[in-house]
Amino acid sequence: MIEAIRSILERAGNTLYALLVNTVPALLAAVVILFVFWSLAYALQWLAGRLVRATALDKFISEAGLTSMLGPAATVPASRLVALVVFWAVFGIGCLAALDAFGMVTTSRIVDSVLLAVPKVVIALIILLIGFWLARFLGTSTLIWASNEGFPTPRRWAALVKVAVAFATVVVASDVLDFAPQVFLAAFIIAGTGLALTVSLALGLGSRQSVQAQLLADKRGETEERGVWHHL
Amino acid sequence: MAGTLLTSQAEEFVHHVQQADIVIGIPSYNNVRTIGHVVQAAQAGLAKYFPQYNSVIVNSDGGSTDGTQEAVLKTQFEERHMLLLPTPQKPANRLSFPYHGIPGKGSAFRAIFGISQELGAKACAVMDSDLRSITPEWIDLLVRPVLLHGYDFVAPLYQRHKYDGTITNSIIYPLTRTLYGKRIRQPIGGDFGLSPGVVRAYLDRNDWESDVARFGIDIWMTTVAMAGGFRVCQSYLGAKLHDAKDPSSDLTAMLTQVLGSVFSLMEEFEDAWMPVEGSEPVDLFGFRYQVGLEPIPVNLEKMLRAFGQGAQDLAEVWKQAMSGDTWREIQSLGAVALAPDASTRFHLPDELWVRVVYEFATALKRHPVERSHFLRSFTPLYLGRVASFIIETREMNGDEFEDRMEALCMTFEQSKKYLRQVWRGMQPTPAEAEMLQDNRRR
Repeated sequence: MIEAIRSILERAGNTLYALLVNTVPALLAAVVILFVFWSLAYALQWLAGRLVRATALDKFISEAGLTSMLGPAATVPASRLVALVVFWAVFGIGCLAALDAFGMVTTSRIVDSVLLAVPKVVIALIILLIGFWLARFLGTSTLIWASNEGFPTPRRWAALVKVAVAFATVVVASDVLDFAPQVFLAAFIIAGTGLALTVSLALGLGSRQSVQAQLLADKRGETEERGVWHHL
Repeated sequence: MAGTLLTSQAEEFVHHVQQADIVIGIPSYNNVRTIGHVVQAAQAGLAKYFPQYNSVIVNSDGGSTDGTQEAVLKTQFEERHMLLLPTPQKPANRLSFPYHGIPGKGSAFRAIFGISQELGAKACAVMDSDLRSITPEWIDLLVRPVLLHGYDFVAPLYQRHKYDGTITNSIIYPLTRTLYGKRIRQPIGGDFGLSPGVVRAYLDRNDWESDVARFGIDIWMTTVAMAGGFRVCQSYLGAKLHDAKDPSSDLTAMLTQVLGSVFSLMEEFEDAWMPVEGSEPVDLFGFRYQVGLEPIPVNLEKMLRAFGQGAQDLAEVWKQAMSGDTWREIQSLGAVALAPDASTRFHLPDELWVRVVYEFATALKRHPVERSHFLRSFTPLYLGRVASFIIETREMNGDEFEDRMEALCMTFEQSKKYLRQVWRGMQPTPAEAEMLQDNRRR
């Protein structure tokens, strides 16, 4: 009985020992790798921030109007953004290297798949950046146009345009990433068709008389409009 | 160079006529009702005042479908005896042709200038085709200073109703006077006299495809002449009566094109206007007389509503273009504009208005991507200022109104130091101030 227990404990001890012998060095190596890459990332972040500030890129980007790509977040200077990107890029590589230190098939597969996905992720990020900038730009254009034309609730029109463009951007980005593309595409088609149908029904059934009244008012308003404008 | 701008019809005409001393240019688009009168006045003016010179009348048309071109060619001045000319005069050559390029007054002028240069004209005058008050004397007053007195650019001076030409009164006159130091009262008048030198300067420029091609042409011509150091003067032409603008046309676009041209030219001619202090009158020709003026109807409530609504809807856009103080003052005025007693209480002070104009001009320079947004969002601000000016000057006669205009111009001139500061980036926008603080913290 005692012999059997001792044998089990020995087996367990051997297994634990083997696990420690196999894992601890890899774990220590991973920690060291993480620390080295974190230090490197931090140093490069500081350096990149300084470099961008020294080359007056903040001012250049602001003057070129590129900060508007980020909307209200434009108060975050370009130097800070570049520094953050550098930090996470370097630290991300460190994380992958740390995972690889375990030398397991699964971790190797994860590392490989992440590395393979990098170009797609970069492209998707660029698409999102441009798309969100376009959404903001077109939203503001709609807001100004609707306000100048005296439309009711211009902010809602602007928000609608922004959401539509942003949604289309997400659909394209998801397609690039192969991330549930069918779901996003279907949602996009359903939303678009639904919107078109709603507008058609609203105009055809509910708002026909309102539209007619608006057109008549516009015609009458031509005389009124002269009072606002013809003294230019 | 001009050859490439002209249609084959225009080139054939140039080849046939070969040389002219005076070119009268008339841009048009569907102006059949009025252009005949303008052509007759030009013919009479040339016959009466410049009978010894070879003259040409050129109509540069934007594709009219109402018979404008035919009207130009068919119009005859039948009542020569009324001019009391000692001898019969040979009528001026006439050409009417459709121009090439972006549709607009600027493209029409470009073709006219091309013909003027090709014909070696000693003087060129351009005038609008919708004029109802033009007389033969206008030709004399626009051409003579160039032809016989060595001036390069003759601007018109009209007597106008106080509510006529509000964009000129609110922005264009005070701003160009402050920038370039010359008191040209109607910088976008539309009727000008030009020397061959200034015509060449226009044709040599490469910005014809911009806003200049449309409504920005008048201020562009005046600015290039002033900033280029050409000799400028004014001629008093009396009243300017012309067709009301088509209400269906996009008038916001007209405002933004004029403003876009002014602000773009500020960037180009920075070296010319930066050192200018104060302003000086320019030589004035023509006999001044009083004329009865058509009253101009204005819709005060709608202007105030547009301003108040704009302050609510466009606050975020304006915040990017204005300094914090200016933005807050405008926002509080927006609430006043929507109050029931706004038509008596609303007042947008000169000093605040000047800051708005200067800060928008600077914002356009600093944020080229947002340029179209800033320009289009300016419309409610402009309407607010016009409304305020109308409320303030309601009881004023013409002379009192001109005194009030002079006070506004002085405010523009006295604030030029502020313009220099914001233009050179010494006064950051709220967003930039926040960014700077953030940088400092780090």
